[in-house]
Amino acid sequence: MTFGRWLCAVALLLSAKGASAHHSFSAVYDDKQTVAVTGVVTQFRFVNPHALMSLDVTDEAGKVVKWTVEFAGRLNLSEVGWSADSIKSGERVTVTGNPAHAIPARMAFRRLVKADGSVLRTGAPERLDAIEEERRERARQRDLKK
Amino acid sequence: MGRLCTFFCTDTGIDRLNALLDDPANDARPFSQLQTEATKYETDRYIRPRLTAAALKTYPLDPADDPGLLRCEPWGLAKQMIAPHQLEIRRRGADRVELHYGEWDAHRTVYMDGRKRLASQPPSRLGYSVGHWEGEALVVETSGVTKGQTQWRSEHSDQLHVVERFTRAASPKGDTLLLTATVTDPWSLKEPLVIKKIWSWSPTSQIAPYDACEPVIAVKKGTSEP
Repeated sequence: MTFGRWLCAVALLLSAKGASAHHSFSAVYDDKQTVAVTGVVTQFRFVNPHALMSLDVTDEAGKVVKWTVEFAGRLNLSEVGWSADSIKSGERVTVTGNPAHAIPARMAFRRLVKADGSVLRTGAPERLDAIEEERRERARQRDLKK
Repeated sequence: MGRLCTFFCTDTGIDRLNALLDDPANDARPFSQLQTEATKYETDRYIRPRLTAAALKTYPLDPADDPGLLRCEPWGLAKQMIAPHQLEIRRRGADRVELHYGEWDAHRTVYMDGRKRLASQPPSRLGYSVGHWEGEALVVETSGVTKGQTQWRSEHSDQLHVVERFTRAASPKGDTLLLTATVTDPWSLKEPLVIKKIWSWSPTSQIAPYDACEPVIAVKKGTSEP
């Protein structure tokens, strides 16, 4: 079937994997720093361009600080099994991420641990693992040719 | 190639990355480091030398000044055509093809019946596109684009002209779609820029609404990475 006729018949839907970059990461977040907070989820929005979570975090003085956590967009999260129900309002979670340079109580998501110990993360480490495995295979093949 | 070409790549960058990967001295270095090195080589050896003095005055643009980041302003052609995420290509009637992108949920119409852009037609963000088939390749030619920013971090003028060539290819991991785009712009480029991008066939993927963009209220200028 030619490309042209295929187009006539069905939609051609493709994805360029590996990116979540609707905007620059480094202009907003500091990837050299990591922060972790524990709190109660007040909202999780599974939206584009970035999913967002609101979190009430009680500090040592008893004051509630409202944190915002920014995730990748729906496509990237869906590819690793996330849905709108992956995080529910009222859940107590510990979330780790990169803090914003200039916006208080805001971070870019890296890892989330629920009260039952289950962990949510994005797919980036797994993708990099797969690439590194391909590299090891490439090196093996290269050595065999010697 | 796929990861290097997440946004776009060039033959210069691809060749450099392959050379780095083939060198046993780099086996212990993480892929991300090699990718960064290949991208820098591509920028220094291929992109920067093609920019005019006018474009170099503001090159590289600070990612903190991106209108998409600051004002949720959708991308123009020179960013959208190589946006990350999905691309859906669908025939619309006998005379046009629609390109639908996951990023920004953006739509482009490509007229396939040989019509020309009217001189009176004002330029727009995504321009005016006409297309035709060359064997198995879909060729799309676009002009009439308002001045804006490129994915390679330069500005461009309203004289931007792009010829995109989409071809299908089989790979061990399944069907892929390869884009080769030839970009000309007398204001920003001394000679044509040829960039590439690759998508993998993803028939179950769906483009979701792009309706929750929020302008970022505070950014840091001068960061080096996009």
